[in-house]
Amino acid sequence: MSNSTGKYWRFDVFQRVEHALLITSFTVLVITGLPQKFSSQPWAEFMIMAMGGIEVVRIIHRAAAVLLIAETMYHFGVLTYKVFVKRVSLTMLPSMQDAKDGIQALTYNLGVTKGAPRMGRYNFGEKVEYWAVIWGTLVMVITGFALWNPIATTYFLPGQFIPAAKAAHGGEALLAVLSIITWHFYNVHLKQFNRSMFTGYISHHEMAEEHALELEQIQKGQLPPPAHPDGLRRRQRIFVPLAAVMALITIVGLYFFITFEQTAITTVPRQTTDIYVPLTPAPDAPGG
Amino acid sequence: MDQCRSTRVIIIYAYRVLLIAACGIAVGLALFVSRPAAAQVLQPVPPDSACKLCHIDSTETITLTSGETLNAGIDPVQLDDSVHGVHAAAPVFCTDCHRPQQRYQYPHQANPAESLSEFEAEIAGNCQQCHTTEELHNPGHLQAKDNPNVPNCVDCHGGHDVAPAAAFEADPVGTCQTCHQEIADPHIAEVHAEIVSNLGPNQTCQTCHASTPQSEDAKCQTCHSLLNSALTLPSGDTVDLHVNPADLVTSMHGEQVINGQQYTTLRCTDCHKEQGLWGFPHQPIDAQTRRDLTINMQAVCQDCHTDIFDRNADGIHAQHIVEGNLEAATCEDCHGNHAIQNPDEPRERVSQTCGNCHSTINEQYGGSVHGAALLGEDNPDVPICTDCHGVHNIPDPTTAEFRLSSPYMCGRCHADQELMDKYGISTDVFDTYVADFHGTTVTLFDHQSPHEESNKAVCYDCHGVHNILPASDENSQVIKQNLLVTCQQCHPDANDNFPNSWTSHFKPSIEHNPLVYFVDLFYLIVIPATVGGFLLFIGSDIFRQVRERFQRKSKESHDE
Repeated sequence: MSNSTGKYWRFDVFQRVEHALLITSFTVLVITGLPQKFSSQPWAEFMIMAMGGIEVVRIIHRAAAVLLIAETMYHFGVLTYKVFVKRVSLTMLPSMQDAKDGIQALTYNLGVTKGAPRMGRYNFGEKVEYWAVIWGTLVMVITGFALWNPIATTYFLPGQFIPAAKAAHGGEALLAVLSIITWHFYNVHLKQFNRSMFTGYISHHEMAEEHALELEQIQKGQLPPPAHPDGLRRRQRIFVPLAAVMALITIVGLYFFITFEQTAITTVPRQTTDIYVPLTPAPDAPGG
Repeated sequence: MDQCRSTRVIIIYAYRVLLIAACGIAVGLALFVSRPAAAQVLQPVPPDSACKLCHIDSTETITLTSGETLNAGIDPVQLDDSVHGVHAAAPVFCTDCHRPQQRYQYPHQANPAESLSEFEAEIAGNCQQCHTTEELHNPGHLQAKDNPNVPNCVDCHGGHDVAPAAAFEADPVGTCQTCHQEIADPHIAEVHAEIVSNLGPNQTCQTCHASTPQSEDAKCQTCHSLLNSALTLPSGDTVDLHVNPADLVTSMHGEQVINGQQYTTLRCTDCHKEQGLWGFPHQPIDAQTRRDLTINMQAVCQDCHTDIFDRNADGIHAQHIVEGNLEAATCEDCHGNHAIQNPDEPRERVSQTCGNCHSTINEQYGGSVHGAALLGEDNPDVPICTDCHGVHNIPDPTTAEFRLSSPYMCGRCHADQELMDKYGISTDVFDTYVADFHGTTVTLFDHQSPHEESNKAVCYDCHGVHNILPASDENSQVIKQNLLVTCQQCHPDANDNFPNSWTSHFKPSIEHNPLVYFVDLFYLIVIPATVGGFLLFIGSDIFRQVRERFQRKSKESHDE
């Protein structure tokens, strides 16, 4: 993993593609979603109009939502493979150490503690972000389903869950956007531009600062050994068909998600009545 | 002594006899003179007794130069029965009328009259000696005094049989008609005959043929107030010709002070211009049908009410007429013609006016919360037809544009705090509608593509249109037990839970939609807390970086 130029391999191409898909779907969802939440604001109206009207915006929003869900499903598939087939260590799981690291980072920043925390492959900041995305996506998918399919939802939930879902969908969206703008943008763009998600490599300096513990393990050759090839192959044989079935179920599920119901078939049927029904016998012309 | 005494007795006796005889003679005389002839002895002889000696019962005739003959005899009974006869307050004698006196003394001088009419005219000239009230008589006749065909007093009143004035007053028209019997133009004759037959109790020929010339307007009014017949148009439709002049006077076109400006009553010819130009008899009317006439008459209103007419031209009624639907309302259909009244006074009038053509809708409206309050209580706040539909430039209510902008229409009243407080109605209805899915979409459509149809519900899709009821009414489309059916109009698969997904115009609170309230509250706390925490940490990191930079710099300078 290490090399002489001080660059360290961090994200493989699949992870980077996942990130690109996440950027795409998230950005589109924000651009099409926030104007819906704030539709009475002039800027929101302008954006909706620029994108072709509210009905178009809704379709784009749902298309981006499908992309995000698909990406999430894929992510869980990959995760399953890594955990059960490759048996990698669960580096993203939060632990007490992360809380301690966080507090130490804060006190260090404030100049209270002397040393900065020495952190592993994923530091507390990254874990916060990852789990925020997991939590946020879960909330958005569930509430989004309810909003997309209100009739189906009310078959098994009280009606009030629909406006509640709308409130949560909007609140969670705002929380996500603001978190990305503050936490993510600061940590990987402003503080220093972390290119690893685009190039795959991270600089030695960044490694030392953000992942000192991991760097030390790499340098000492203490990384956990890769899985035994025989076992790996056996597990792959089980995983692949299972994954194929899961993928099929996912695709079918997604299709159902999209086409579950046609909420409003029509508008109130037009009443065709004769509006010209003069009084008979005709009254005297007003005032003769 | 005895002889003396007897002589006195004889004298007394004789005196008595003489007295009795005198009485007898007197009685005899009295009896004698009690004959008519004897009366002449007691009374003065009338000045015309001599005339009557010859003319009464005379059978002679006098032949005039013209060849006409004149009876010399007179009928004393007829004369006595006439207004100049024995019962007259002041005696009228032959020579009062047959003047000059010298000519009529016997033997009579030759009469210069060459014809009967000249003879009568001369006598008629003498009436004025007693009858000075010339102005009572028809001015036309007086003005045309020199015309030989104009009647003189005798022509109308007669000669020896002159009738009392009351006889003429009893039948003034008949008096005129003794001469005026025929009108050459049959159309005028027909109209005239109807007018004459409809003359009221105090109306005579002189009502129209008055002493001073009538104004144009009065001429129109006199005829049309007396006409009850109808004009038949080529299509067979009829036009009522009767006009009550009082209708106009008490109408909006009567005397009015508007914005401090005094307006006089309109004249007939202000509107019926062409009739004014043509006079009488009127030219035939172009219109084939009654409807054509009504539609054409709109141009008359346009002359004064230009702005309103222009706005009306944009309205649905005028557009329908342009497209050939002649049933659509014109000025007259709503406002009337001669008796135009303030169209919205009372406000109920508007509903009735529209209801004349839109009766079924008006019936629905009458049963609605708005209509019942208007018709029952004369409520000044509820909308009348024109409040929602506009007045002259009434838009087509079936367009996407009308539908999409309709929430603002309802909101005009229902978002008015002061107005709604009177009835204890929440003004959140508009905001909560716009905040919800339906309202958000409809508002955006209204702003961005008002001509495009949207299937999202507007106020009246749920609450009803003309038949709108209070949300608490058991028949309301939006009361709890009816709401599912209302939802199913658009969402046919909706189940019992579905209607509760609508927040019923309540802003989320612990009482109404608590789940929504708590979700909102959750994010109200979590968003600032999370983002605030992030920002604090970022702040501390920036603080560290700045501090480290300073330390590095001071270290570098120290090293140097």
